[in-house]
Amino acid sequence: MARSLKFNIFRYNPQDPESTPHMESFVLEETDSMTLFIVLNRIREEQDPSLQFDFCCRAGICGSCGMVVNGRPSLACHTKTKDLPEEITLLPLPVFQLVGDLSVDTGSWFRELYDTVESWIHTKKAFDPTAKEERMENEVAEAIYELDRCVECGCCVAACGTARLRPDFLGAAGLNRVGRFLIDPRDERTEQDYYQIIGNDMGIFGCMGLLACEDVCPKHMPLQDQLGFLRKKMGITALKSFFTK
Amino acid sequence: MSVPLTANHKSLQCHRWDGVLDWAQMLSGAGLITFMWMHMILVASVVISPSVMNAIAGFFESTGLAQVGGPLIFLLFLAHFVLAARKIPFRLEGQKTIWEHAKLLHHTDTWLWVVQVVSAMIILVMGAIHMWVVLSDLPITALKSAARIQSGAWIFFYLLLLPLVELHVGIGLYRIAVKWGLAGRSDRKGLKRGENLLTLIFITIGVLTLIRFWFLKG
Ligand code: HEM
Ligand code: SF4
Ligand code: SF4
Ligand code: FES
Repeated sequence: MARSLKFNIFRYNPQDPESTPHMESFVLEETDSMTLFIVLNRIREEQDPSLQFDFCCRAGICGSCGMVVNGRPSLACHTKTKDLPEEITLLPLPVFQLVGDLSVDTGSWFRELYDTVESWIHTKKAFDPTAKEERMENEVAEAIYELDRCVECGCCVAACGTARLRPDFLGAAGLNRVGRFLIDPRDERTEQDYYQIIGNDMGIFGCMGLLACEDVCPKHMPLQDQLGFLRKKMGITALKSFFTK
Repeated sequence: MSVPLTANHKSLQCHRWDGVLDWAQMLSGAGLITFMWMHMILVASVVISPSVMNAIAGFFESTGLAQVGGPLIFLLFLAHFVLAARKIPFRLEGQKTIWEHAKLLHHTDTWLWVVQVVSAMIILVMGAIHMWVVLSDLPITALKSAARIQSGAWIFFYLLLLPLVELHVGIGLYRIAVKWGLAGRSDRKGLKRGENLLTLIFITIGVLTLIRFWFLKG
């Protein structure tokens, strides 16, 4: 027999002066291979057209459907109801600005982050559009690709105790981003340059190693290893410049 | 087009301090753990025989290690507190945030951090009291320790301090290993199990030691 599922959903529309933050319940019959993507769309179609939430790819690629599912930041389109109990609580991701109900603005946050960490290849070589692309070892390309898989959903940031305490913390996604350029041979930045960006408590030394980021990342990004790598690298950079100046 | 920013500046002044402080925090913690292990060897030796403990204490005494090392450890203890306290939310707002966060997330490692911070604050007070009492009444002998543990409420004091310190040490070691990349993704589970086992073993040795002191009569 199909389960009857109860969804407690956070409701608040900051645009509407009448609106106050509250929880609202919806009941839905479970269907085969039901995901939260299907649930939320059905609620919107059948019960309340004003429900706000974000979706795009519904395949775990665009990263827009991050929300807190029974306490755990997850991608709604990736979450099957059969893995959840009968009562399910949905909250918007913390840290990010609330657009309304379950919809948050991760875009502005990531944009600002990428400005801060200068998320682009820094090179003094002039770009020659007619030249052949420079070659790179396959392992290096694969390692970079591995770190580029992040879909910017913000789950790791919402799950991070440090990010909750310090609004300026770059979060695992931001640090991972820096790590991606650090191993890119085309980027001419030195370790000192990277130290400028993440060698502080806003960056890698702020991370307290709670590893919630590692545990919630829906793309299973190697965040623990990445954070350990960066701390070691930046720690050594700090010591080097401490003893040479 | 790429717009080089940091790469264009020749010699940017580095904020070395955050990195150095992070090292200092880790090393102060590791130093205290090393001390705690030596401390465990000293006091647990009473289980074998009070005279073994007296011999070890006598060695520390006659070489001056107790008189000089004791206060140094106390300084290290304070230094570690000051360094680690940079991460503790002392304002109610932050405490509420992290508490709500931990409750919502159901995530073991996040709770472990809360345990680490709460145990730390209690260790700060109780550890200071313990060190004061011991260091102001040198030399250390098995009989004096036994007399203290048998008097008043001291047994409860130590029965509380012991598990708090062992928890803090166990979590601290685990955290150093994951933060500094000494343990990778695949090692994490085993590391945690090892850490729990170690904590349990140390608490057991500690309780045995306290029991021995409780029944040790002059
Ligand atoms: C004065 C009392 C103490 C306080 C207030 C304190 C506080 C803390 C705090 C808040 C942390 C977490 C730091 C972080 O996550 O970055 C920590 C870590 C640690 N503590 Fe303590 N602690 C105290 C005493 C001790 C003692 C007595 C020991 C050892 C016997 C110890 C060993 C450690 C270790 C190894 C770490 C991990 C360091 C790291 O992650 O870098 N602490 N301490
Ligand atoms: S690292 Fe993972 S959790 Fe964090 S933003 Fe990227 S995909 Fe999402
Ligand atoms: S390991 Fe660091 S970045 Fe990841 S959740 Fe913990 S504090 Fe945040
Ligand atoms: S809708 Fe694109 S990741 Fe969920």
